[in-house]
Amino acid sequence: MDILVGSISAGLLIGMVLALMALGLTIIFGVMEIVNFAHGEFLMVGMYTGLLTAQATGMDPLLSLPVAGIVGFLLGVICYAGFVKLLLRGPMVAQLLGTFGLMIFLRNLALLFFGAEDRAIHSGVLVGKSVEFGMGVIAPATKLAAAGLSVIAFLSVWLLMNRTKIGKALTATSLNAQGARYMGIATEKMNALAWGIGGGTVTVAGALLVNFWSVNPFMGLLFTMIAFAIVALGGFGSVSGAFFAGLVVGIITEIPGIWDFFTYAFDSDWMSNVPMTSLKYMWVYLAYFLIVVFRPRGLFGWKR
Amino acid sequence: MALLEVHNLTKNFGGLTANDNISFQVEKGDLIGIIGPNGAGKTTLFNCVAGLHPISSGQIIFDGKDITELKSHEVARLGMARTFQVYAASGDLSVLENVMVGCFMRTSSTLAAKVKAKEILKEFKLENLSDYLLREIPVAAQKRVTMATAVGTQPKILLLDEVAAGLNSSEIEEIMGTIRSIHNKLAITVMLIEHVMELVMNVSDRVIVIDSGKKIAEGNPEDISNNPDVIKAYLGERYVQEHSAELR
Amino acid sequence: METLKNAFDFSDFPRIDLTVAGIFVFLFLIFPLFPHSAFAMATMIQFFMFSLYGMGWNTIGGYGGQVDLGKAQYVGIGAFTTAVMLIRWNIPFWVSMPIGVCFAVIWSFMLGYPLFRLKGHYFAIATIAASLVLKDLFEVWDFVGAARGLEISPVKYNPPDFLHLIFKEDIYYYYVILVFFFIGILYVNWFRKSRLGFQLRSIKDNEEVAQSLGINVHWAKIKTYAIATAFVSVVGSFHACYIKNIEPEDTMSLDISILIALMAMLGGAGSLWGPIIGAGILIPMKSYLKEWLGAQAGLVGIDLIIYGAIIMLVSAAEPRGIWGIVEKVRRRKAK
Repeated sequence: MDILVGSISAGLLIGMVLALMALGLTIIFGVMEIVNFAHGEFLMVGMYTGLLTAQATGMDPLLSLPVAGIVGFLLGVICYAGFVKLLLRGPMVAQLLGTFGLMIFLRNLALLFFGAEDRAIHSGVLVGKSVEFGMGVIAPATKLAAAGLSVIAFLSVWLLMNRTKIGKALTATSLNAQGARYMGIATEKMNALAWGIGGGTVTVAGALLVNFWSVNPFMGLLFTMIAFAIVALGGFGSVSGAFFAGLVVGIITEIPGIWDFFTYAFDSDWMSNVPMTSLKYMWVYLAYFLIVVFRPRGLFGWKR
Repeated sequence: MALLEVHNLTKNFGGLTANDNISFQVEKGDLIGIIGPNGAGKTTLFNCVAGLHPISSGQIIFDGKDITELKSHEVARLGMARTFQVYAASGDLSVLENVMVGCFMRTSSTLAAKVKAKEILKEFKLENLSDYLLREIPVAAQKRVTMATAVGTQPKILLLDEVAAGLNSSEIEEIMGTIRSIHNKLAITVMLIEHVMELVMNVSDRVIVIDSGKKIAEGNPEDISNNPDVIKAYLGERYVQEHSAELR
Repeated sequence: METLKNAFDFSDFPRIDLTVAGIFVFLFLIFPLFPHSAFAMATMIQFFMFSLYGMGWNTIGGYGGQVDLGKAQYVGIGAFTTAVMLIRWNIPFWVSMPIGVCFAVIWSFMLGYPLFRLKGHYFAIATIAASLVLKDLFEVWDFVGAARGLEISPVKYNPPDFLHLIFKEDIYYYYVILVFFFIGILYVNWFRKSRLGFQLRSIKDNEEVAQSLGINVHWAKIKTYAIATAFVSVVGSFHACYIKNIEPEDTMSLDISILIALMAMLGGAGSLWGPIIGAGILIPMKSYLKEWLGAQAGLVGIDLIIYGAIIMLVSAAEPRGIWGIVEKVRRRKAK
C-alpha cells in the first residue's frame, strides 16, 4: 500500500512541476496555434540557467528562479520576433519543421557549451532533506518546494490571464485574432508576449526541476512530448486544464511504481517481467495519441 | 417521381434553428432559384441537402433514394454536384487539373479524364485558360471553372451557391448564359441560390423564398416579386403597408 | 497499360528539366566506375535511400499536404523484419522485404484510420506519438533485439549473395538501390498523374470541395499513407542488409522522421524532383559536415547546429522549397 501511495504522491508532486512546464506551451498555442517543438529545449535552458546561477553565485538554487524567468522571457520574445514571426507566414509544414530546426539548434548549442554529461545540483538549503507524511510517504524537500512554487507560479499566471487587462487581451487574441485587432489590441505584441510568458514559465519550471532531476542537452524531446500530452489532455489553450492534466500525467510517469504495487498485490510473475520502467514514457505518448483521437477537446479546452 | 424531394427538413445548430421544417420538390429539368435575405439559411439548406451537415429532422429523397444519412461524397456520387460560395483556392492545380478532378469521379483513367475535361472547358469557352492556376485567373472565370468542375462529375442536379456574387453586369450576363447552357444543352437540373435578382428572376422557372429558416413562398418569378410576404421579408413591414396600393 | 504509359511518360516536363535529369541518370549509372572514395560511395547510397524515403513521404506529405512526422516507425518495421528473418531463418531479402511491406502497410491502415480524423498540428504530433510508442516497444522487445538491436554478420553468408543481399563491396549495394531509385521515380511519376494523385491534390486544396466532387477524403488519405509506408519499409529492409547493424534508436528515432520530411520540404514538397533535390543537398551536407566538423575536438555538435540553422532558414525564408523557387521564377517569366 505504501508503494501505491508513495507513487501517487510522487506523481502528483512532479505533476505540478510538469504542469508549469506545459503551461507555456498551452499559452503559445492558444494565442497563435503554432506548436513549439523546441519547448523541451527551453526547459533545458531553464535548467542550465538555474544550475549555473546557483553554482556561479553560490545562491540557493531556489533563488535562481527569477533569473531563469527573465532568461526564458527574453528567449521567448527573441525567438518569436526573430524567427517564429516569419514562420507564421508559411504553410504548416514549414512551421512544424521550423521549430524542429530550432530544437536541433538549441540542443546542439547546449551540447557545444555544456558537454554531454549529466549535471545536477548538489548543494542547497533543501538538498538531501525530506519530509515525512506518514503512510510511508516520504517526499524530498526539494520536490515539495518545487511543487509548491509551481502552484504559486501557476496561480500568478492564472491571475495574469484572467484578472489583468493584458491577460484579457491575450485571451482575446487567442480566441479571435482579427476581432482583437479591431478592438485595438496590438496582436503582434500579444504574440511576442505569449512567447515571452511561455518561455518564462517553462524556464522557471526548469530551474525548479533541476533541483531533483539532472540535466543534459538531450532531454528536451522527452519533455516536449510530455508537455504535448499535458496540453492535449487539459485542452489546448486552457490554463486550468494544464494544471489538472499535469497532475494526471505526473501520475502516468509513476506507472512503474503503481505497476509494482499491483505486481506485489497480485503476487504475479508475468507482471513483474514486464519492463515497465523502460516503458514509462511510452504511456505518455500513448495517452497523447488516444486523447487527441478520441477526445480532442481534452478536459477543459475549447474545440478548434 | 420528382428528382429531389425535401420533406420537413430542420437543422439546428445548438440553440439556433437554421432551417425550419422546409419542404419542396424539384422535378427533372427544373431550374429553381432560391432567394431570401442574408442569413436566412439558404446555404445551410444546400449544405444539408448535399450531405455536408447531418440534419436534425426530416427526409431527403434524391432520384428515388433516401439520402438523409449520406455523407457529401456519397451524395455526389449519386449525381448531386454543387459549387461553394467562397473558397480561397490555395493549391497549385491548374484550371484543367481542377476540371479533371471532377471528371475523375466517373473514370479512373487519366487520359479519359483529361479528354473529358478539355471538352467541358471548350463547352464553357475556357480552354485558353487551361494551364493557368485557378488562383491566377479573374473571379468570374474562377466561378465558371468551379461550375465546369462540378459538371465534370456528370451530375443529374447541380446546386449553385451565389455564383454571381461580386460580378459586374457583363460577367453576370455571361454566367447567365453558362447556367442556361448547362440547363438546356447538358440537360442538368439546376438549383441556385442568388442575391442578384436580375439573374435569378430571369433564368428560373420557379422560385423558392427562404426567410429566417422557413420557406415563406414558392412560385414563378413574377408572382414571387409581387408577393407581399416576400417583399416584407426583404424590405420590412412598413414598406408593405406604405406601398400596399401598388402591391394589389 | 495506361498505368505503365503514365509511369514512363515524362513529357509534361520542360525539355531542359528532362535533359538535366538525363545527364544525372547517366552520371549515376557510371559513377562507381570512376575512382571514388568509400566515403563518397557511402554518401551516394545514402542519397538514393533518402531520396526514396522522401519520395514516399512526398505522396502523403507533399501532394496530400498531411505532414507526417512518424515515418521512422516503418523504417524500423522494414529493417527489423528483414533482419530477424535473415538471422533466424535465413530468409532471402526478396521474400522478407515484401513481408516487411505487408506488416508495415497493415500497421499503417490500423494507425491511419484513427489518425486521419485529425488535421494539421494535431495530426503531426499524433504521428510523432505513434512512432515513439512503437520505438519504445521495440526497445524492450527481445525478439527484435531490444535496445541493443540486431547485427548481421556477413561472414555467415557468401558474399556476393544476391538472394540475401549481403555484399562485401558497396558497389553492389549501389546498383541495387539505384534500381529501386529508378523504380521509385517511375512510381511517383505514375502517382502524380493518377486518380489518387489528383484526389489528394484536391484534398490539399480544400477538403470540403474535394468531398463534394465525390472523393472519399478519409479513405484517400489512408490509401496514400499506406503507399508512403510501403516506400519507407522497402528502403528500411535494404538498410538492414546494407548497414547490417540496426537498433531502434538509430532507425526509428524522431530525428529520422524529421529528416525524411525535411528531404521533401527542402527540395519542394509536392513535386517529383523535390525530394531528390532535397536529399541531394542534405545528405552530402550532413555527411561532410560531420566528417569535417563533428570529429574535431571541442566542436562536438557544430555540424548539427549548422544543420538546425539551415532547417530554420529554409522554413522561414522559402517554405515551398527549392523546386518551389524554380517554379515561381518560371511562372514569372511566362507572364
